[in-house]
Amino acid sequence: MTSVIAASHLSKWYGNVLGLNDVSLDIDSGITGLLGPNGAGKSTFMKLITGQMKPNIGTVTIHGRGTWNNPALFRNIGFCPEHDAFYEDMTGLEFVTGLLRFFGFSPSEIRDRAARALDIVELTKDKDRLIRGYSRGMRQRVKFAQAIAHDPEIVILDEPLSGLDPLGKRKLIRLIKDFRSEGRTVLVSSHVLPEIEALTSRVVLVHQGKILAQGDVPYIRELIEAHPHQISVRSSDPRALGARFIGDRSIQKMTFGADGRTLIVETHKRDDFFGRLTGVVLEGGIEVEEISSPDDNLQAVFEYLVGK
Amino acid sequence: MSVRGSIREVFGFFFSIGRRTGKTRVFALLGLIPVALAIIVRIVLHGRSGDIAAVFTEILMVFFLQFYIVILALFYGTSVTAEEVEGRTLSYLITRPIPKPAIVLGKYGAYTLLMFVMVAVSLALSFFIMNVARLSQPALYAKFLHYLGVLGLGILAYTAFFTFLGAFLRRAIIVGLIFGIGWENVIQYFPGSTQRFSIVHYLKSLLPYRPMAGGGRGVALLLFRLEPTAPLVAVLALAALAGAFLALACWLFRMKEYLYED
Repeated sequence: MTSVIAASHLSKWYGNVLGLNDVSLDIDSGITGLLGPNGAGKSTFMKLITGQMKPNIGTVTIHGRGTWNNPALFRNIGFCPEHDAFYEDMTGLEFVTGLLRFFGFSPSEIRDRAARALDIVELTKDKDRLIRGYSRGMRQRVKFAQAIAHDPEIVILDEPLSGLDPLGKRKLIRLIKDFRSEGRTVLVSSHVLPEIEALTSRVVLVHQGKILAQGDVPYIRELIEAHPHQISVRSSDPRALGARFIGDRSIQKMTFGADGRTLIVETHKRDDFFGRLTGVVLEGGIEVEEISSPDDNLQAVFEYLVGK
Repeated sequence: MSVRGSIREVFGFFFSIGRRTGKTRVFALLGLIPVALAIIVRIVLHGRSGDIAAVFTEILMVFFLQFYIVILALFYGTSVTAEEVEGRTLSYLITRPIPKPAIVLGKYGAYTLLMFVMVAVSLALSFFIMNVARLSQPALYAKFLHYLGVLGLGILAYTAFFTFLGAFLRRAIIVGLIFGIGWENVIQYFPGSTQRFSIVHYLKSLLPYRPMAGGGRGVALLLFRLEPTAPLVAVLALAALAGAFLALACWLFRMKEYLYED
């Protein structure tokens, strides 16, 4: 059986910049998460899948058919772009109904579908307001509504959760999960692991235009856990704090910040460190002002994985 | 959905958007300039001969023919593709089950109609205010329709050219300005067949010229150095230009990748 979406040796470059480099990937029904830092090539991959770009090398197909200049394919595809771009002078309802007109539905069907999509994203109350007056969260939701209004079999969502508040994120995650239970194919991108983790266990790691790893979330977590974390603790007495960690085997390296108030540690066991830190602070009466993890972001993890 | 159906839907979508944009409001206001001029001239000319009114009507035509429709077509024509790329809304259109040329043709149609309405309202108001003393003469209405037809053809041809330019170049507006304000305004005064390399030459060849009482062809403003092409040839040339540039724009839009500036 062929995959729903199949990319074979896909490469795309912009002048001298490599956007995607020899990517081969099969995507089946269910939710697949595309995880990578900004500029990794996630959007390029999605634009190739949705026929907005043509590959320089390789092929990308949906149900075995090429996506470039193949408009008939888009009857079954819903795409939610990353950019916060709209026809600002339209209302939410006009935006969704206007784009539904391109599917050849009857006027009554367009009305019904638009109303349903706006209801799903909880914008019914605000449907007659101009998009330019929408909040960031509402804009994300109306963008999502236009992607699902025609009831597509394949939904491609480029950073759909960015800009949403925690409640909005939770609602959208639930909506996307509903699609999976309906047997659809959903491809969703993000640069935040917990977001992808909340959606699916099937993850593809993308970095510098290449697929770095793919597998389930525990496997990706394992890769990330192997990366030493850097944690910065600003306190009233960083040297006293550091002294209490000297014998701790979970610490690999310890330095002090130039400001004289920061202790910077590197550890493979972040959770263990945080567990011990709480005890040390309480026992020693050391005042902690701030705890941060400067490299606790995907970019650092990816750089580590690339260099491994 | 058929290609014709796709064009119709794109037309409806963009006519609805186009009529309420700030750009349309600004250009509609620009169309009030000849109306204001007509009112002023009427007040000044109160009781004077119809000939002077006709002279000023031709002055108004210079505004419409060599400025208003060129500027309108430049801004609306280049925006057929450019505004989708600059506004990053192109993704919504090209991920729909409609052929790419239908997007160009539907949007071209919507903007052309929008411009035609603006020009028709502005011309009608200024023309009839200017010629209010001759409103009972049927010939006046024929002349108005003749002018409107020429301007309509101009909108079709110029917009097709600028649509092509917008599909081809990233900064089409600058090249379009050089063409519309520079090339068109200079080349039309070249002697011989050189002036046929301008669109305005064919438009001017179609204008009706009123016979003067003492003979001659009338006001020289629009006739200056014009070596007119036969009306039928001029109409065919304009139709061919519009068709060719539109076909090129559709082909380019289908083949070209449009990248957002990231």
